[in-house]
Order: sequence, then structure tokens, then C-alpha cells
Amino acid sequence: MRRGPWHQFGFNSHNDFALDLLRQGAGVGVIISSRDLALQGAIEYSQKYHELDAHVLLDLQFYVPNFSNAKMDSYEISEYRLPVSRLHQVTNDDLTRLTSKLESICIDLSPDGLIAPAIVYEAGRTNIIELNARLFENVKRVGDNLGIPTYATVVLGNSVISSDETINAILSSATSLNCDGWYFSFEFDHERIPSSRDSIYRCCTAGLTLACTGKPVLHAYSGPMALLSLGFGAQATAIGNYQNLWKFPRERWRPTTTRRGRGSAPARYFSSAIWGTIVYPDEIARLSIELQNQVLTQSAFSTRISPGPPFLPFSRWDANKHLVSTICSTVTAIASNSDPRSNAAAAISILERAVDLHSRIAGTGISLRDNTAAYQENWRVAMSDLLNIQSCDFDYLEMLR
Amino acid sequence: MAFTVPIDIARTAFPQYTFINALTPSAQKAAFHVRDEEGNDLCLKIIAPNYSVDRLSREILALQSLSHPNVAKLKEYTFSSSEGHERHYLVEEFVPGKDLSEDLQPGHRWSTSNAITFFTQLCNGLSALRKAELVHRDLKPSNIRIMSDNSPVIIDFGLVRCLALTDLTSTSEGAAIGTPAYFAPEQWRGTKHDIDHRTDLFALGILLYQAIIGSHPFLDEGMSARELHDVVCTSEDCFTVQEFTSLPEQWKLIMRRLLEKERARRPHGAAQVATILRRLGEN
Repeated sequence: MRRGPWHQFGFNSHNDFALDLLRQGAGVGVIISSRDLALQGAIEYSQKYHELDAHVLLDLQFYVPNFSNAKMDSYEISEYRLPVSRLHQVTNDDLTRLTSKLESICIDLSPDGLIAPAIVYEAGRTNIIELNARLFENVKRVGDNLGIPTYATVVLGNSVISSDETINAILSSATSLNCDGWYFSFEFDHERIPSSRDSIYRCCTAGLTLACTGKPVLHAYSGPMALLSLGFGAQATAIGNYQNLWKFPRERWRPTTTRRGRGSAPARYFSSAIWGTIVYPDEIARLSIELQNQVLTQSAFSTRISPGPPFLPFSRWDANKHLVSTICSTVTAIASNSDPRSNAAAAISILERAVDLHSRIAGTGISLRDNTAAYQENWRVAMSDLLNIQSCDFDYLEMLR
Repeated sequence: MAFTVPIDIARTAFPQYTFINALTPSAQKAAFHVRDEEGNDLCLKIIAPNYSVDRLSREILALQSLSHPNVAKLKEYTFSSSEGHERHYLVEEFVPGKDLSEDLQPGHRWSTSNAITFFTQLCNGLSALRKAELVHRDLKPSNIRIMSDNSPVIIDFGLVRCLALTDLTSTSEGAAIGTPAYFAPEQWRGTKHDIDHRTDLFALGILLYQAIIGSHPFLDEGMSARELHDVVCTSEDCFTVQEFTSLPEQWKLIMRRLLEKERARRPHGAAQVATILRRLGEN
């Protein structure tokens, strides 16, 4: 598994979006999702990503296994998209056929690794543990046949994350799989960016436990939380620009009756200095020139933007690319050091500066929208706690390096 | 209660073998050192009549495919029943030498270099079991033979479980069988789904602790099964004894990880432990 930031697919046109970022040197790989890209497009774009020296993973997304759409149907494994209770009744012969179809898909798509389909883990649901193990074993055969790694999916659902005991119980079962790495995510409460200190700490501790298996961890659906990923021992972190990719978004695999987005809200500018977004140009314009200078951290996609008037237009697409590029750039810098303790310390240092800058902005009487200052201090404390309380885990990781 | 068969009766039932002597029986099997007509030393194990034939026969298939210098080779397995007369036995390679129990005496502490050499090989054997998707479940000193070159061989696969089997109902009765002194917390709980290769790693941790510290980490003289259960599942007192606290940090860490109550926090496999031990030897 390549070390550093990966692109997390999350909407229909992410294919070209990822290409643009890879051309700018942002990201080491792309995770293609069957929900968002039909098979023929996936094959075509997989080749394009490979031409840019990126790695490609295919996520078949069985998180909510009975969800399907036209793009998913193009992968010819829709007959296995069933409710958990029915999926349980799938015979070994059925799974062998699924394995065969998946192998055929992989031969066309040439992924660099397979993400084993798995249902979101829930507390007290041993049937999900058994089902995920069966799915994994079959997909692992495909990976082994093709000579590519197979990553076990470990998505901890809401019912799991409420206590350390339930997290440990699920991790004990999930980590019995003989995989080549972990595709890990955490279902947080409903908020734009996870801010609960306890939840962040638990997420990081779970990730650290997975890292201590000695297998690489890919922190999926991380978004701005990618700042923390390498600090808890992850090898890679997957970033998408949409807010519903900034934590595991179960609702993406539920039928919707309402159209979302496409409103006329102003662009958000992601600043690495405040490690968050600020409304452009409305909120930027209210800051002093000195604060603007600090907040407007640049990327290849924000070269038109500079402190002070006139505030040139900043398209949403550029804002999106700027966000992912900025996060990728910071993660890449952190990833250049292979020591998780140093990575955690680097994240803490960035968060300390962000907290300080937020405080200075608040001191001028300006209150930022989006509750954008709500999480940095909690993340900082969670990471500090992780370093202190889980010190033995970091020692063990050190022994494994 | 051990299952025993008088040697004279065994001799009559298996005339093709020369019986050398009876070996220590277990609750499920009577065991004998025998020699076949070609002069090969073997270990004949007669299975108790109440033992699950179905489960054993499936596990045997996995074991027969296994060939590793640190795992005893299974030579033959037979179950037949006719006119009410059952023949249910297996023949393992006889491993000459002594039991590990002879070298794990209270107060006797191994040198770290000896421990590294021995336990690295033991880990190699456990890795071979894992590759075959087998869990021993009864790893203990009397199930590890030490050969004349001091290399270990894992024997007695009576309780082994094949993880590849999807129908595990027949092992539910077996979740809590084994030898309590080497039980992992999940064996004490008796939950079949929780038994995996890391259950053997917990037993390995106890053995390593005994070798390095010179005492069992949990078991005290006169302790009841209930007390042992409580200590294994909740206590960390074994990490506070002077012999442990005075060890180098990395030794403490690997032993702590092996003896973690939660499987997720134990090493992911015996191969990982072997790598760590080898590195400790290089330092």
C-alpha cells in the first residue's frame, strides 16, 4: 500500500477531478467506488490513473449490501447485493461465482489491490462478523490468484463506537482475517466534521490497534481528519472533497428522494493554517490583511486568490481541488517521516497553530460560519492523549518497523 | 479424567505394532510409543469413544497436508465401525527427546539467547499451523517435545480446530476444552467464535513468561479453577513482579502483547513474534 494521501471517490465526476490533482502531484492513488463510476468508466480511468503513476483500488461497497444503483449494476455482481439476512443464506457455490466474476472485473480493471466487500460492523451482530469473514475469504482468493494484496474492510458502525469494549470486541474478530492490510473507517455522529474528543480518540485508538497488527492501514473517508491518520499509524489516508466523505457516510448507500447540493452557497476556502474552511470572500474580507495573509494558504488551485481586494472569483471546483490539494500536501509532508509518534506530534503542532489562529480571529470579534473552529482543540487533545495513554502501542509499532 | 487403555488390550487390538511403552494419556486419548514393522518409532493414539468423530475427521484432513520440522507429522487416521466394534485411532510421528515441561521448572530461568532460539522455532511451527488455518488450542509444555538438537516439535492435535470450516457447531462443545493453566481469556469464556490463532499465541506467551521469569504468570499453588479464571481474565499482577520489571523494555513489551486479554491487541501472528524475537537476538 502506497504511503500518503489517496483520492476517495465520492461523486459522479470525481474521475477527472482526481486526474487534475494527480497531474499536480497531489495523491499517490485513487480509490474507485462502484457507486459512483460504472465499470466501463472505471476501466478507462484506471488506465489513465496508472499512466500518471497512481495506484488504483476498487471498493465494491457492500457497506449497506442491499443498496444498488445503475452504476453498481454494471459490475455484474448485483445479484449479491442483498439484505444481510438473505446474504447470509448465500451458498459457497454462489460465493465461488462471485469470486469468478470479481476476478474477471479485476482482469479488466487492473487494480493494485482489492478492498474486500464488507458490511458495516455492528455491536452484538455475530452474523455480520461471519458474513464479512466469508466475503473476505473469497475475495482474498481473487487477490492471491492475481498476485495483488487484499485489504479487509473494517468500518465500525455507530453501535460499535459507543464504548471501548465493543470496539475491542469487534476489532478482535475483524483482525482474525489473514489480510494484507486494512481499509478502516469510523461512523461518527451527524456533524460536518467530527468534533467529539472521545470519538476522535476512539477512532485513533482503533486505527492504532489495526496498525499494531503490522499490516498497513488505509484510513478511508478521512477528509480533513487525514491530518491525524498517519499519527495513529496509518500508512495511507483517503480524501474526498465532499463533506459527506469526511467520515464514513452510511446515508450514501440509502435511497434518497430529495436532490442535494447545487445551491448557491459561496465557496469555502480550505486553509491549512486554521485547518478548516472559511467562507470566501465574505469572511475573508472581514479579516485584517495580516490575518488574511495567514489564513490564505496557497495551492496550485488557488493562485488567483490573494489577500485584500479585489477578491477575484473562486469557483467551487477550484475550491474543491484546493481543499484536497492542501490536505494532500500536508499529509505528504507528514508521511515523509515514517515514525508515527513524529507524525502525531506534527499533527498536534499544526492543530496548536490552528487553535491559536482561530483564537486571534475570534479576538477580533469575528465568528466564523460552519462551526469551523469546533474541532481543532479536541483533535489536539485526542492526539496528545493517544500519545500518552497508548504509549505502549507506539512502542510496539516501533518494534515492528 | 484421563482416558486410559491397558497396554495389553492395546497390544491385542493393534498387533501390527510393537508396543514400547504407554505415554501420558489425555481426557480424549490414550497414547503409546509403538514401532511399526519397518522399525519406525510412532505415537499411537486411541481416541475415547465419546469424542466427536465428525469434528476430528475434518480436522485430520488439514493436518495430513501439513509438513513442518516444528510440527509432528500425522501418519495415519482411522475410524471404522462394524458390528458394534469401533476402531478410532491416529498415528503420529514419534518425537524422541523430552517434554518442554522438564525445562520449565519453577525458579529456573532460561537465558534470553536460548529462549530466542527455541521460541523462534516454536513460532515457525505455529505459523505453519496458521497457514493451514488450524488452531492447536491446547498448547502446553507436555504438548511440546524438545529434540536432541534442542528444537521444539508441537505434538498432540486432539483439540485442533480448522478455521476454514464454516459450520462450527460441532466445536461449540470444544470451546472450553483444553488445559486451563494455558487457557486464553476467550477459552475461559467458552465462546467458539472467539477462538483463533491468537488463542495459541496467548499460550505461547505463558510459555515464554515461564521460560524467562521462571514462574507461571497466573497460576499459583492451590489456586482453584475459578480463581485462575479471574486472574487470567482480569489481572495484570504478573507484570509487577521484580523478575519481570527488571527485564529490558522490549522483552517486557512482547510478553505483555502476547498476554493481552483482547485478541486484537496480541501480535497478529506467530511469524510477527518470530521476527521480533530474532531482532531481540540481534540487539
